[in-house]
Amino acid sequence: MGVFEWIRLIVGGVFLISGLATFFTEIFGVFHFRYVLNRMHATAMGDTLGISSCMVGLMIFSGWNFTTLKLLLVVVFLWFASPVSSHVLARLEVATNENLEDHCTVYPELKMLEEELAATADPAKQADPASSDQTKA
Amino acid sequence: MIYHNLYITVLILLAIMLFPCLVRAVRGPRIADRLVSVNMMGTMVMVMIAVLALLLDEGYLVDICLLYAMISFLAVVVLSKVYIGIYEEKRHKAENPDEDEEGGMSDGSF
Repeated sequence: MGVFEWIRLIVGGVFLISGLATFFTEIFGVFHFRYVLNRMHATAMGDTLGISSCMVGLMIFSGWNFTTLKLLLVVVFLWFASPVSSHVLARLEVATNENLEDHCTVYPELKMLEEELAATADPAKQADPASSDQTKA
Repeated sequence: MIYHNLYITVLILLAIMLFPCLVRAVRGPRIADRLVSVNMMGTMVMVMIAVLALLLDEGYLVDICLLYAMISFLAVVVLSKVYIGIYEEKRHKAENPDEDEEGGMSDGSF
């Protein structure tokens, strides 16, 4: 193998192994933290940095062809999809957890604002529990 | 030959790292824990498919990787929406139990 082949192997291998290390850190974080919203913090890192490093390493191995373009497309899609799915999961957790205050701070100003909103709203809406929940989420 | 061994090693490491995700998906105390770990497994399987595409020298496997990303994203979003809807409906039914069945779905939580 020539010099350029060795350089390609080493640079791509470093990217690929650093992606694997990021995945390992992700798993460590998921087992280290105690609550879902903290665990989500660790998994978001693997969804963006881990898969990007792995895909950049594979792109360097692949060279200039359509496979490289499609690997780039996977990374770009995940950049858009991962924040959206994290947001939806956080909404699920906040909407379904009865005692959220045990795990994280819910700001008192926000709670006062909600009570004001519930007081000023018309009594038909105040009786409906689902509409007041939607303003919270 | 070096590339072949590197790809095989990466695949084995990723396959080993899938098991802790499975453990978290089984043990997770809340439903969001399970969905987070399923999302994590999806990311790792995407890398595995991409490595396999280069190992077998079959470019079309990367298309399957892209499809896998889209379906995994869709699964997480749809399951979250379904669980939020189930929870709202259950709580609505618990707060006013004298209402009939048609009233339960009318608050538009989906």
